[in-house]
Amino acid sequence: MSTVVAPLETGDLGTRPAPRYRFLRELVRKKIAMAAILFITIFYLAGIFAPWVSTSDPNYQRLTIEDRLDTPSSEHWFGTDGAGRDLYSRVVHSARTTLLFTLVVVLTGSLVLGLTLGLLAGYRGGYIDTAIMRVGEVLSGVPTLLLMLAISAAFRTRLNDVAFWLQDNTFLGDDARPIVFFLIIVLAALPFAWIGSARIVRSQVLAIREQEYVLAAETIGASTGRLLLRHIFPGVLPIFLVGLSASMGGIAGAEIALSYLGLGVDPSTPSFGTLLQNAGGVRTFQEYPHMLLVSGIPIILFFFSWNLLGDALVDIVEPRTHRR
Amino acid sequence: MSQGLAGYVIRRLLWTVPVIVAISILVFLLLRLAPQDPIDSLLGQRYDEEIAQRLRAKYGYDRPLHIQYLKYVQNLFQGDLGVSTKHGDFSVAEVIIPKIRVSAGMGIMAIILVFGLGIPVGVYAALVRGSFLDPLIIGFWLLIDSIPVFVSAVVAPWLFALQLGWVDLTYEGVLHPNIILPVFVMSLPGVAGVARLMRASVIQVSNEEYVRTARAKGLRERTVVVSHVVRNALLPMITAIGLSLPGLFAGSLFVELLFGIPGIARESLQAVLGFDFDVVLGLVLFGSVLFVLANILIDIAYGFIDPRIRITAARGG
Repeated sequence: MSTVVAPLETGDLGTRPAPRYRFLRELVRKKIAMAAILFITIFYLAGIFAPWVSTSDPNYQRLTIEDRLDTPSSEHWFGTDGAGRDLYSRVVHSARTTLLFTLVVVLTGSLVLGLTLGLLAGYRGGYIDTAIMRVGEVLSGVPTLLLMLAISAAFRTRLNDVAFWLQDNTFLGDDARPIVFFLIIVLAALPFAWIGSARIVRSQVLAIREQEYVLAAETIGASTGRLLLRHIFPGVLPIFLVGLSASMGGIAGAEIALSYLGLGVDPSTPSFGTLLQNAGGVRTFQEYPHMLLVSGIPIILFFFSWNLLGDALVDIVEPRTHRR
Repeated sequence: MSQGLAGYVIRRLLWTVPVIVAISILVFLLLRLAPQDPIDSLLGQRYDEEIAQRLRAKYGYDRPLHIQYLKYVQNLFQGDLGVSTKHGDFSVAEVIIPKIRVSAGMGIMAIILVFGLGIPVGVYAALVRGSFLDPLIIGFWLLIDSIPVFVSAVVAPWLFALQLGWVDLTYEGVLHPNIILPVFVMSLPGVAGVARLMRASVIQVSNEEYVRTARAKGLRERTVVVSHVVRNALLPMITAIGLSLPGLFAGSLFVELLFGIPGIARESLQAVLGFDFDVVLGLVLFGSVLFVLANILIDIAYGFIDPRIRITAARGG
């Protein structure tokens, strides 16, 4: 760190950034973190604009010998798979699936469930606290993937009929099946999505509620809702976001793992799980390495970016273990 | 204090019971309420209503749900986990115990590998912090952690077996050297987590006053690092063992699938897909109880190693 002595800040207090911006400033200073954010942004933007940036219908099959299992070319940037589908378009649409799944699970699981239960446990304490935390403890102790598999498998066949009914009787049409299957894996992920954030929120609430300004607000008769929302929640937010960033990769990974096993999204929905499953085993990789590489490298970089960003954020929040 | 610890452990154990019961009911209902049952999956194409009825009566699937559950629990208390419909009526214990042996063997090797690598890496990263080496080392292991097991379980065999010819891919038992590659593939993603935790722990301990005292009284740097810093920094690693278990299960699932290893994770996937009721339930219960007990044991061990924890544990439990 450069050791230029800053002139004493006399008077001009207005230009000093508020503490909440310190967080952002430190983040901007970290080049690795910025690179990670850049890649994540590109990945998500590709997902949002998938229909526009893709060069072909991701499910369009070209079942001629010339078009199947093509290596990357100017026509098919990432090559084609065994059914002659354009892999670039499939990867971009898979990013869309990843984005959508993460968004829904984070909003419902981490944000709504996790934040509410965490605030409740931390603020109310006592019996409610013990109950919430013990349930979370045991849920995080069971083999998560196994339980998710069981939930997904149990609902898939049952909701198949529902999907067909929706297809015939509502405006959803052909989209009904993908949507129902998508909701099943969201449902399978939810029981586990709230635990991490609830734990973080709770510990923060416990620390903050002892602070004097909270006591002061309590003394002048602020309502519980106002106390939680105006005084405790803003203090919880930074650490909550750090915890969230650490869990983003894992949430996306759950969908990919389930789809890889054939218990995830509908086969008509492109997903990195099905892409990697199609890229096959050792022999397929030997013959057609492009299939695994073009779908594997983007998702590895995606996980890597979230890992790096999470690491950098922890570094900022925990200055004691600072890199410098 | 030991009485406080006992009370703490008992309270935690008592809390485990309702939650395990809840999980078992949940999984039980999940399986029974699915429109498919083991009989459908058993008969498949040769489905015949009369045979199906008779088979359902034989396994008791035609009775009311709560009777089925109570019967299951009753049998459970007699050590009977039920039968596997998919494996020709072998008892669940007969089906899963050999597979538990395989997976447990691999799991123990994996844990040794994860911590055997992660701890030195973390210590080293902490010692060189401030230089470019620290982010480089941690970044490297974070990259390894970012590779999904079902990608590395394809690329690693391709490289080490097909290209280099160093290893053979056939499964010859847990004690055969062929197991090395799959164990590496399932363990390496876990190293980053342990290394990061160890790094943070070493840095934290380095700031303690007794470390400064040790340096001040002129001990060699080596002695300070090894016997003052690292020894104390190892404490939080014990909890990391418990935290790493679910991840290892997920990793082992793909490794067992792609390397063709007859372990518990692969069996659980097949049982879920085949609606092998009792096997799924048995495995979920086994897994849950194992993880919960492991975490409680770790807490107790923690208390024994670091007496400061015991007091707060007894108070806070």
